[in-house]
Formats: sequence, structure tokens, C-alpha cells
Amino acid sequence: MIYLSRMLGKPVLDANGSEIGTINDIAIATGEVFPRVTSLAFLGPDKTPFMLSWRKYVEEFDGEQIQLNVASKDIRFSYLQPDEVLLHRDLLNKQIVDTQGMKVVRVNDLKLSESKNQMRLLGAEVGMRGILRGIHPALERAVASFTRTFGRELHENLIAWNYMDLLDRDLSHVQLSVTHKRLHELHPADVADILEKLSATQRTKIFEHLDNTQAAETIASLEDEYQADVIADLGFQRASDILGQMDPDDAADIIGDLSYDKAESLFRLMGVKESGMIRQLLGYKEKTAGGIMTPEVTTVTESMTVAEVIEFLRHEAAEHESIYYIYVVEEGRQLAGVISLRDLIMSEATTAVSEFIIRDVITAHVDDDQEDVAEVMSKYDLLAIPVVDESNKLLGIVTVDDALDVLEEESAEDLAIATGGTRAWEKGAMSWLGRKSGWLIVWLVLGVGAALVLAAFEERLVGFASVVLFLPLIIRMSEDISNHSLAVLIDAGSGDERPAFWPTLAIDTAIGAALGIVSGLIAFGLLEAIGTSLTAGVVVGASVALTVILMAMAGAILPYLALKPDGSGWRAPSALVSTGIAAVGMTVYLGLSTALYDLVKL
Amino acid sequence: MAGSADKRRNRALLLLAAIGPGVLTSMAGNDAGGVSTYSVAGAEFGYKTLWLIPLMTLGLIMVQETATRMGVVTGKGFAALIREKFGLRSSLLAMLMLLFSNMATSVSEFAGIAAATEVMGVSRYVTVPVAALVVWLLVVRGSYRNVEKVLLALSAVFLAYIAAVFLAKPDWAEVARATVVPSFETNTSFIVLVIALIGTTIAPWMQFFAQSNVVDKGTSIKELALSRVDVIAGSLAAGVVAWAIVVTTGSTLHPNGVQVSSAAAAAQALAPVAGSYATTLFAVGLGSASLLAACVLPLTAAYAVCEAFGWERGIDRSWSEAPAFNSIYTLVIVCGAAFVMFPNLDLIAVMVFSQTIGGILLPFLLIYMIRIANDRRIMGRHTNGPLYNLFSWSTVLIVIALTIALLVLTALGMA
Repeated sequence: MIYLSRMLGKPVLDANGSEIGTINDIAIATGEVFPRVTSLAFLGPDKTPFMLSWRKYVEEFDGEQIQLNVASKDIRFSYLQPDEVLLHRDLLNKQIVDTQGMKVVRVNDLKLSESKNQMRLLGAEVGMRGILRGIHPALERAVASFTRTFGRELHENLIAWNYMDLLDRDLSHVQLSVTHKRLHELHPADVADILEKLSATQRTKIFEHLDNTQAAETIASLEDEYQADVIADLGFQRASDILGQMDPDDAADIIGDLSYDKAESLFRLMGVKESGMIRQLLGYKEKTAGGIMTPEVTTVTESMTVAEVIEFLRHEAAEHESIYYIYVVEEGRQLAGVISLRDLIMSEATTAVSEFIIRDVITAHVDDDQEDVAEVMSKYDLLAIPVVDESNKLLGIVTVDDALDVLEEESAEDLAIATGGTRAWEKGAMSWLGRKSGWLIVWLVLGVGAALVLAAFEERLVGFASVVLFLPLIIRMSEDISNHSLAVLIDAGSGDERPAFWPTLAIDTAIGAALGIVSGLIAFGLLEAIGTSLTAGVVVGASVALTVILMAMAGAILPYLALKPDGSGWRAPSALVSTGIAAVGMTVYLGLSTALYDLVKL
Repeated sequence: MAGSADKRRNRALLLLAAIGPGVLTSMAGNDAGGVSTYSVAGAEFGYKTLWLIPLMTLGLIMVQETATRMGVVTGKGFAALIREKFGLRSSLLAMLMLLFSNMATSVSEFAGIAAATEVMGVSRYVTVPVAALVVWLLVVRGSYRNVEKVLLALSAVFLAYIAAVFLAKPDWAEVARATVVPSFETNTSFIVLVIALIGTTIAPWMQFFAQSNVVDKGTSIKELALSRVDVIAGSLAAGVVAWAIVVTTGSTLHPNGVQVSSAAAAAQALAPVAGSYATTLFAVGLGSASLLAACVLPLTAAYAVCEAFGWERGIDRSWSEAPAFNSIYTLVIVCGAAFVMFPNLDLIAVMVFSQTIGGILLPFLLIYMIRIANDRRIMGRHTNGPLYNLFSWSTVLIVIALTIALLVLTALGMA
């Protein structure tokens, strides 16, 4: 195998055997999966760059030098063609997108293979091996044999040409092979993932190559924090075109995050219809059915026939997000019922809508909480749900993709509340300090306090070391118990009734007792095995056992106290629960072991 | 009417948006190492190093402007540009230098934390591990950007030195003369201090930090002028504070022969302003500035190294997603904190010495920078001008010459 890093700087010899320069770069034709090397670039005397055809003049590359088949005076030099890519200049050390692994990587080396006078590019090496070889081949060999003695092979990480997308060089005007999977041919959600890993400049560059439809879908898939930035970088005209292409609910989300001036400028450039819809959506409260719905609904009237409805769908509703349900409205858009696409197709062309309309429609009110809407949709397996106001007027629909986003968002929020952390730093520094570091500081104070208590008792405590030995065990146990309690909390927090108190306490105490006795016995056994006094073994063993039992009970009681009776929320933040359990554990353990040492004399 | 008011507000917002990286970098640059080096310079040599400060401020402006320009034009970090222009081996060298100087500076930050808390009567063996843990958690949890603002505000107490200058009643004529007329001593301690002063004012990590800040913000070429304003404002602010510290310590500590051997001694320079609160004020400033820089340094190192080698990076990446990134900043924090735990370490000496390491490595990283900034393929029409190159290369040569002079003097001294 040949590596570009090993070729660069090697001599180029002509047919007479005299050196005419050193290898500087090689060019490939871009049309194949394993592209052919087409030209050789070398530095002649005084570092003058030259280029010549590989196919015509290169006899062979033997690993140490390039042998040409003509004398230097007979060479006709050539120029770089627009569809040629230079491996050293355009690829080596550059960032590329691995469109198969969906990652942004840096090219450490390029692997080539030679056969029958043809050199081909096998792929870009992006792994550790390439880095080591680039530093020194001996280093690569040493590390490879080192890892091999531990039974691990140091693998090459190669990306074939057809899975590369160059970030620095624009190849959009170059005819690429059919198999070449370019960035803008990927699914918009995948493109969005990659874009989030690039710098703002690179992001803007990639957007230049996407058409408006692709750009719209990609922006809709970006995380919220990037959306406004990307729109701001695009320039007003392009941005408003793209926003016009997006589903109105997604567009409204993004515009809602922009400054007033910027939003107004975008509205001015947009069509009247689109801007009207988006403006209307912006009027609804966030996190309600109104906030996540799209106003693009397919509506028909009862008097229409099946043929008319289908004709209508073909012409009017082509751009609508969802046409699986077709809503039937009366004068003034009052919702009368719904027909399904299935019924529509199954019915005769002349049948009137009124004959198979379903009048019992599950609807959401425009002010309903988005989480409730998502849950209703999940309960009834709906692909879309109509949103109505007080007078039953149809305002829009919430589609299943938005409902899924809501569920994801809400579960992340639940997790954040349960762990006492906030998602990102949206609420400002001081609030963060209070929420997050608050608990860290409580922990710190508790830890230091425990250490001080221990230090104070150090002289009296004969078995000081034995007590400390099991402190980590207690802390670890408290963590497990808190995790268990938190699981109970999260479960209960999703709107169910608060779990019954006494059975929970009984079960948790029983489990705690079993655990406690086992860990107490282990502690006793261990201490006896390492030969401490009998007193130490009994005292520490008993303390460990009792502490674990008490912590388990605390784990049952604290969540109960923290949770509101109707299960609708928490009276106290749940981080208090875990801190509470740990506090109970440490205090009981240290207190108990010191007290017992004074009492028990064996 | 409303329109023009809006426009004016917009322009003000635009300026605010572009201002930031430069000011932040410069304020973070006045860290533990900076404050102690300036204090030692004033206390030991009076006004003798004062003439360096305008020159170093000019140097800081030029170097930071170059870094910012490189970031704006290419949209890439300094480390990425080094890798793309010079290849693997040179990047490895540059990254080792950066890593080493960042570790050294990190040591000085933890020394700063230790010095600040020991003044308050808490042992360094308690505060340094706790600080290391806090820094690590702030970085791991990605929440340092919130705390950044708090620490930045707290470290602004060093602005008190500007007031202290006036209360110290220096001989203004003498100060003015010393600020423009160079004076020099040919002994190792003076040269060490000069290198340290340069190393702390134009610290190597600051260039990486400034450039990646610009890249992260996605500043466009149109906003380049605003970014320049930001850089100049930040550098001037840093220069004024440095000048104030040297003048204050030069007029209060130097005449009385007070050696800056501890934070408490350095704090005495603030006594005219804060009276009996001088020590507390100094400790709060030193502690916050050190904590801020202690967060920034490991992040800068980890970002740069991962950028150069193409490894996954970002504070929101987990250990399994970005093993190298997480290992590097953990390593820098641990090494920095561990070194300070050596018993009976002279904290002030450590802080000054680590700045010397930064100063010695600086010219080599500047060479990379100058060569990239002059590459037309990379910078387009935004390459360095001739005057720029002249000054940049002189800085490089002077610092290298100082290092050689230091080596020669040390060798002579030992012989």
C-alpha cells in the first residue's frame, strides 16, 4: 500500500535517471468510486511547480522515487483541470464530512494502491493510525505492535471517495459519479446533525448549495439554538424564501425567537398568505395546542361528493402537512366531522361526504397544554388532531411529528426536574448557581461536616479506620436508594395518583432490611478477616446494617412528602430527596458507630 | 423618529454583539500570573519596567487583531489553520507547546487560588482540590459560561488599582518619564521578569482563545471593523490595568523595600484605596480571576488539540463521545492543581515563573501565526501589512534574544 504522506518530498527521476524535482502533490479524476490518479505535481529547481500527466509519463512509483518514462526535455507539461482534485492541497489535513458515518473528520493521510501502471485512491485515513504515521512511520509501527501484544489491532479508519464531502473546496460544478453521496443528498435530519458540528462560516457555505426546499427541511430539523443563527446568516431574501417553504408552525417557531425588527423585515419579503398564517400562529401561547399546530388544514363540506373531494385534494391540498384525515366544516368553519382517506378511496365516486362522515371527532382546544394534546394523540393513535376554539371553529391541526417533539421535550424536562438540573442555562446565571451549585454546596458542606465530626472523634474512636472504611459503601447505597426513589417520583409525576404510603414503606423497609443485614454481615466478615478487634466488627457491622435500613425507609418517606397529594407536582425539588437520604445515611452511620463504640465493650 | 431611534439602538446592539471576545480575553488575561508578575515587577524594580507596558499593549493589540482577523476571514480556529498549513508534525510541535504553556499557566491559576484563600486563613490543601473539582464540574456540566459572567464581574476589582494609582501619589514626572524612556538591567532576575511580563501580557493561549471565540460567534467579514474596536478596547483596558499595578506597587512597596513574597504583601499596594479591606479585596479579585482563567485554560487547550487532530470536541460531548477532549482538560486541571500541592511551595515565585514559560514559548507560536497571516491562499486580501510584519517579527526576535540572553547569563552565573 502507498500513503500520500510517504510520497510527498520523494524525488522524481526522468528516463535518464537524473532528478528533476520532488513530489509535491497528485491529482485525481473525480468520476469514480476509487478515482484514478491523473496528474503529478512536483517542485522543480527553485521550487517552481510543474504538472504532468500521470498516464503518459509515469513509469512507476517504487516507494522511494517516481520513475518517468521520458527524458525531461520531452515532457509536455499540463495544467490542473477543473474536475481534478489535488490530494495534498484539497484533502490532506483538511476537514471533510464522512457522509456514511455522519461525522466531521480531519484527513490524516490518503491511502493509494498501484496496479498495472494505474494508481488509485482507496480512501482517506481519518483514524489514529494516520496521525501516528504522519508524525513518524516508526511511531506507527511501534504503537501498532504495542497494542497487538495486548490483543488489540490498531485499525485503519478509511473513508472512500464516494462518501467524502469536501468542506473547503466547492465541487458542485464538478461532474461527480452517480454513486457519490454528497451532503445535500442526505436526509435533512442527518444534514442538520452534521451542521451542528461545523463552524458558522462552514454552515453558511453549505446552505449556499442547498436548494430552498432542502434548506427549509434542514433548518426545521436543527436544534432551536442554531435555527435563529442560521436564519440570521442567510440574508433576508433567502431567509424569507426558506421560511415561506417551511411548514407554518415550524416557521413561526423560528420567527418567534428573532428580534422584532428582524421578524418584521422577513414578513415584508414573504407572501401575504404565508406571513398572515405565521403571524396568526405567533399569537397563540407557547406550549399550547395553538402554539404547535399548523393552520394548513384540508377542509371540505358535507355536500361534496367523493369525486369532488379527491379532485379538491389533488389541486388545493398538495402542500398540506397531513391529508390522512379530511375535516368536514360547515359555514364559518365550524367543525362538523371527519372523513378518513381510507373511507374516501373505498367509496364510490358519486357518494356524498355526508354518508360516511364520522361526527364524533376527538378535538383539542386551542389553549390545551401541548403535553395533554400529545397524550391524547398517543392514546387514540391519531396521525393528526384538529384544534378548535370555544365556538368549535376549526383553527388548525397538530400533526404526529410535532406531537413526538413535544413528548421528547417533556421527558427531557421531567428528567431535568427530577435531577434538580436545568436544561441548558436558559434561566440565567444566578438561578443556575442557586439550582445546581446549591446542591453541590450542600454536598460539600455535608462532606466537610462529616469529616470534621470524624476528626473530632478521632482520638476516642479506636476503630476510626474501620468506620471510615465503610463510609463509601454508605454513600454508594444512598445513591442507589435515591435513584430508586427518583424513579418512583418520575413515574408518579406524570399525572397519576400518589402511590399508597404504607405498602410502599413496608416493601421498601423489607428490601432495606435484607440489604442491610447482608451488607452488615459483609462488613463484619471483612473486618474480622483483616483482623480488627471484635468490637470494631460488631459496631461497624451493626451500624452499616441499621443505616441501610433507615436509608431505605427515608427513601420511601421523603418522595412521599415531596410529592403533592394529587400527584400533580412536587412540593420540594427532588434533589432535596437525594441529599436528604444521603444526610440521613451519613448522620446515622457516624452517630451510631460513635455511640455504639462507647456502649459496646467486647 | 422611532425609526432612527431604532436604528441607533440597533447599531449600539451590533457593537455590543461584536464587542466581547476581545474584552473577555484581555480581562481573563489579567489573571493570577498577570497580577502577581506586575506586582513583583513594581515592587522589585520600581518604575523600571514601565516603558515595556505601552509596547506590550501595542504588541497585544497586533497579535489579537491578527488572531481575530484570521478567525473572521477563515471561520477556523488557530489550531486548524496550523494543521492545514503546516501538516501533522508541525501541529504536534505547536500543540505540545500550547499544552505545556497552558499547564504552566494552569499551575499559576491554582497557585493564585491558593494564595487568595490562604490570605483568608484557609489552607491550600483544602481549597486547591476543591477548586479543581469545581472547575472540572463547571467544565463537564457546560455551565462555565454562566459563571464566567459572575467571575468576570468579580475580577473587575482589579480596576481598583486605577484608583490606587492616584491615592499612592506617585511622582508623576518620574512615572511619565519611565513610561516612555527605556531602562534596562543586565541581570537574570530582570530578564526573567521581562520575559514573564511579555508572556503574561501576550499569553500564547489568549490567541487561541480569542480566535475560537470569534469563530464560535460566526463574526462576518463585514463586522471585522467592530471586532477590531473590541480588540483594541480590550487590550487597552488590560494595558491600563497592568500599568496601574506597576505604578502602584512601584510607589508603595518599592520605596519601603517590601518584597512581594505573598498575596498579603501584594495586597498592601491596595491599602490606600481599601484600607483594612485591601487584603480581602485583593483576595477576592485574585481568586475570581484565577478561577475564571482556570476554567478557560484547560478548555482552550482541549479545543485546540482536538481541532488540530480532528477529534470530537465540545463541552456538551460526553466522555464516550469525545474521549480525547475530556481527557485533555481533565489532565490540565489535575496537573495544575497537583503541582501546587507540593509542600512549602513559594506561590508568588511559581506564578511568575509559569509566566516566564509562556514568554519563552510565545515567539515560536507567533511564527506560526505570522506565516499563516501572510498566506494569500488562506487570508485572501486580508494578509498582514509590511508594518505589521516588521513589528511582529521584531517581537519574535526580541523575545528569542531575551531567552538566549537569559540562558547565557544563567550559564555564566553557574560557571
